[in-house]
Amino acid sequence: MEGFFSVFTIELANSGIRLATPLILAALGGALCNKSGVLNLALESKMLMGAFVGIVAAYYLGNSYLGLLVAILAGGLLGALFAFLYHKYEVDLVILAIAFNLIILELTVYMMRIMFGNVGSWSDPSIVRIPDIEIPLIKDIPVIGGILSGYNIIVYFSWFMTIAMYIVLYKMKFGRHIRAVGENKEAAETVGINATLIQTMALTISGMLAALGGAFLSIGHLKLFTRNMSNGRGWTAIAAALFGANHPIGTFLASLFFGITEAFSVRIQNVTDLPPNLIELLPNFATLIVLISIALREKVRETNARRHFRARLKAEEQQKAA
Amino acid sequence: MENKKLKKILDAFLVPVLAILSGLVLMAVLIAITGKPVLESYGILFSKAFGCEKIGNCAIITTLERATPIILTGLAAVVAFRSGMFCIGQEGQYLMAAVVAGYLGYAIHLPNGVHQIVILLACMAAGAAYGYIPGFLKVKLGVNELLATIILNTVATLFIEYMVQFPMRGDKSTTAHSPTIDATAQLPTFLPGAKWGVGFIIAVLAVIVIFIYLWKTKAGYEQRMAGQSKFFALYGGVSSDKAALRAMLISGALAGLAGAIEVMGVHRRIMTGFSTGLGFDGLTAAILGQTHPFGVFIVSILFAGLKLGAQLGLQLKLGIPRELGGTIIGFIILFIAARKFYENNIDRVSSWLKKPKKLKAKREEN
Repeated sequence: MEGFFSVFTIELANSGIRLATPLILAALGGALCNKSGVLNLALESKMLMGAFVGIVAAYYLGNSYLGLLVAILAGGLLGALFAFLYHKYEVDLVILAIAFNLIILELTVYMMRIMFGNVGSWSDPSIVRIPDIEIPLIKDIPVIGGILSGYNIIVYFSWFMTIAMYIVLYKMKFGRHIRAVGENKEAAETVGINATLIQTMALTISGMLAALGGAFLSIGHLKLFTRNMSNGRGWTAIAAALFGANHPIGTFLASLFFGITEAFSVRIQNVTDLPPNLIELLPNFATLIVLISIALREKVRETNARRHFRARLKAEEQQKAA
Repeated sequence: MENKKLKKILDAFLVPVLAILSGLVLMAVLIAITGKPVLESYGILFSKAFGCEKIGNCAIITTLERATPIILTGLAAVVAFRSGMFCIGQEGQYLMAAVVAGYLGYAIHLPNGVHQIVILLACMAAGAAYGYIPGFLKVKLGVNELLATIILNTVATLFIEYMVQFPMRGDKSTTAHSPTIDATAQLPTFLPGAKWGVGFIIAVLAVIVIFIYLWKTKAGYEQRMAGQSKFFALYGGVSSDKAALRAMLISGALAGLAGAIEVMGVHRRIMTGFSTGLGFDGLTAAILGQTHPFGVFIVSILFAGLKLGAQLGLQLKLGIPRELGGTIIGFIILFIAARKFYENNIDRVSSWLKKPKKLKAKREEN
């Protein structure tokens, strides 16, 4: 048991936050899409593409920050392409996502092998990992400073994005429009909201964020690209958005939960014989429970509304009779 | 009447064929950027996928073996889609059944013939049970089946990794795997050296049974009706909930069968990295095969062939990465999904073709 508790250290929080960052970014994008009424199951492919494009651009441009920028642009383009195909040719978004998840998974490896020889994973000594930044003042606070400071810019950006998205969605008129489109597209359109534009924007932004999350994996965290580098993180991000009920803050916390469990399950192997895979199951079960409770809440609301309606009908009839 | 039927068939085939052709054209582009000869690549791809150099070393045999699990998971997707359940849980059901097959293969000892049947039935039950979960959640509680199955897939992937690494681990080798299953648990093969065997026959039978079920039985009719319009089905006295639940059970059993055959006929054990996305391959086969059992059958063999040809032909002979096969399949799905694009253009072309005739008729009238 002693070994069990020895895992809980500042390093655990650090690696948990690092592992959570790509999830936070992708999940925020997923949540934004869900809020505007489009289901984005292609986070996995957008992430993987960001990872590949990011490291390749960093290599050719000789600057990792430029690599990030190119990855974001590429993700945005892919997201916009989704929106275009969805609105113009009425392509089913789920099928589109399945297709692109496969295309990107295979195409990234194909391109890697063509460009850099027949390799399973690729890296180059000239590529610089995005440097970590210590925040002045905060870094000197004991414990908290160690947890909150010392990450690279992508990590801080994911925190900023969480707050920004919360403010836009819940404190601004534009956010109300987005949510209106998600709740009822036709109704929103009748009051003059451009639903197509909003959904296009949501898909584009989520593509950008997911790609940035992927670039974090290849040039922010490790410094290499391997086949299927995202390794299901896109799907986890979808689960995290659901777990967080598509609320930015909730999504952030849910992603953090997923990230810390992953970090925990990696560390726990060294000190106890608890199986890591079973620990990673926990957040997935939690998501399932959240999904069920959301559905149940909806169901209860529906039954209540029906009961209410019936009671009113009865009362009206009695009034008429009287 | 005859004409109408012909048109229906043409409609069903035209878009997939155009999509596949577009995919092959795209392949030429992707090969061209490597600087390898394009036409020669096509020849090698197809001979390594469907050719037969000598008996016992037939590429088509391996293609059929690889197609078997895709056919079954594809059928699973067809049954679910046709009942209006947009469920992508085939991967999870397939993995759960694989665990059961891997375990029963060495844990119990039964005579040859009985052992296999027991495992097959147990795997179907396991798959069906795992398919029943999202079905139940959807019908009784209203949980979105798509989202539920995404999570259940992850759970199954983690579960099989856990089983392989801990309770079922065979020996202390570097890559974890379970013990090899008994000889009595293995499915017989037709040719020595090849793994093509009884599993393929089971898949073919499943195609026929599912076709008969969906189009020739009352239950299948109810299920398709529930899939097309829930309220119309209700009006006709069909409980769409019941039909959906039944569909999820059948769908899960089919995916479970795929897992069983993959373990009993091909790998003979389960190991880390057992999940290679075969469930998703089935989904794509179902989409490309127009959610029809026969379509799934044809498309699965095409898929398996394309992947095998890319691996054995393009990669080994020409040095073109084998990922090309998967890339092209992905693009073909994309082109299928964009059917509206083709339909618009087909309409344009056909109206353009008809125009001269109309003009001619008008002239004659005058």
